[in-house]
Amino acid sequence: MALLQVNGLQKQFDKAQVLRGVSFTLEQGQVLAIIGSSGSGKTTLLRCLNFLETPDSGEILVGGKPASRQQFGLVFQNFNLFPQYTALENVALAPKLLKIGNKSDIQTRAENLLGQVGLADKLDAYPWQLSGGQQQRVAIARALAMQPEILCFDEPTSALDPELTDEVLRVIRGLKQKNHTMIVVTHEMAFAKCVADVVIYMADGVIEEMGTPEEVFDNPKSEKTRAFLTRRFDAE
Amino acid sequence: MSVTLQLLQGFEETLKVFALTLVFSIPLGLLVCFGSMSRIKPLRWLIRGFIWVIRGTPLMLQLMVIFYGPGLMFHMRALPRFTAVIVAFSINYACYFAEIYRGGIESISQGQWEAGQVLGLSRSQTFFRVVLLQVVKRILPPMSNEIITLVKDTALARIIAVYEVIWAGESFIKSGLIWPLFYTGAFYLVFNGLLTILFSTAEKKLNYFRG
Ligand SMILES: Nc1ncnc2c1ncn2[C@@H]1O[C@H](COP(=O)(O)OP(=O)(O)OP(=O)(O)O)[C@@H](O)[C@H]1O
Ligand SMILES: [Mg+2]
Repeated sequence: MALLQVNGLQKQFDKAQVLRGVSFTLEQGQVLAIIGSSGSGKTTLLRCLNFLETPDSGEILVGGKPASRQQFGLVFQNFNLFPQYTALENVALAPKLLKIGNKSDIQTRAENLLGQVGLADKLDAYPWQLSGGQQQRVAIARALAMQPEILCFDEPTSALDPELTDEVLRVIRGLKQKNHTMIVVTHEMAFAKCVADVVIYMADGVIEEMGTPEEVFDNPKSEKTRAFLTRRFDAE
Repeated sequence: MSVTLQLLQGFEETLKVFALTLVFSIPLGLLVCFGSMSRIKPLRWLIRGFIWVIRGTPLMLQLMVIFYGPGLMFHMRALPRFTAVIVAFSINYACYFAEIYRGGIESISQGQWEAGQVLGLSRSQTFFRVVLLQVVKRILPPMSNEIITLVKDTALARIIAVYEVIWAGESFIKSGLIWPLFYTGAFYLVFNGLLTILFSTAEKKLNYFRG
């Protein structure tokens, strides 16, 4: 059985129908890349998965049961680190407040997570002392600290200078090797192509096309997908 | 010598009004602020209407209403003078503080709340452990303004015959002495000077983070 099943998700804001029945499944350990033009509902979909929005209808199942918030983690486009806390405190805060294990375990685990994202030497740095790429890596460690079953990323590199995107993408690639299940909304087509197991192209609130990277990028079935990809690759 | 003693008595009264008003109005302001941001519409409008009345009328008038009102309107016994002063000042300043708090809270990006939420923190955990210190940092300058105004507003207490420092100074005019009045001025200056130093120290303390 698939780890994640999303069935017929719908969401409306005021008069705009932003999600019009989104359904897909994702296997444990797979990486799903979601691409699509601006306003197609990618962020809204991630926000529904993370309980930041309540869908109007449809269901989200993890392991066959209705999902709970702790099963998902979210890495934001603009990091949203807590400015008054050091990198280490940012990572350890939620586990401490929610009493996930004892104090010294939490501390060690937070240190290890920061090591894992390549920031072992920045434990005591405040967010303003870190580059955008470093801040985003702290945000990834912070999300991992809650041990989500599915980690979501909303354009994790689009607020970064081009030379800093690689260090973040490398971390995501490392997580894939550790068998983390992930959903990544991205405009980085090359990244989606080589890291994703499944690619979804969204347009106007529906899944226009879904398949392996080869299927979606090299042999798109839909005319819309083809047009989008042409525009994208011209832009790059 | 008796002049100094009498002035000191006035200082003491002024200091008490100042300190007690702060002790009550700072937390009360937070309650008023939460009320004015409540999702329950009638409550929100009630509290905002209340803030409008309190900020829109002179403190002096509120002082009189609270002191004389109960007796004249409801034939109740009036509050003791000093208590009436503390009640009026606390309510008045709570409303000003509430608006400062609200501005501070609303200036924190939604992303901070959402980051707390996706990590599984409750709203109150996110407020007290994530948002609050950022709010404090942002509201320190307007709070220090308001608190310095409070120091000077304490002089209004005399309107219902609470013996504050200017009254103490003024009582010597009859005997031809002006310098006690200058003393009171110096008292205000020193007091506000200390507060200014205190606030700039606090601001420096919070300079370790940005945001
Ligand atoms: N809270 C909201 N209230 C009203 N409309 C909203 C809200 N959130 C999103 N929308 C609208 O929903 C539509 C889809 O937005 P969404 O952010 O999901 O798109 P997106 O695919 O993530 O786009 P982008 O690539 O620009 O990030 C947009 O038209 C947006 O204006
Ligand atoms: Mg988006």
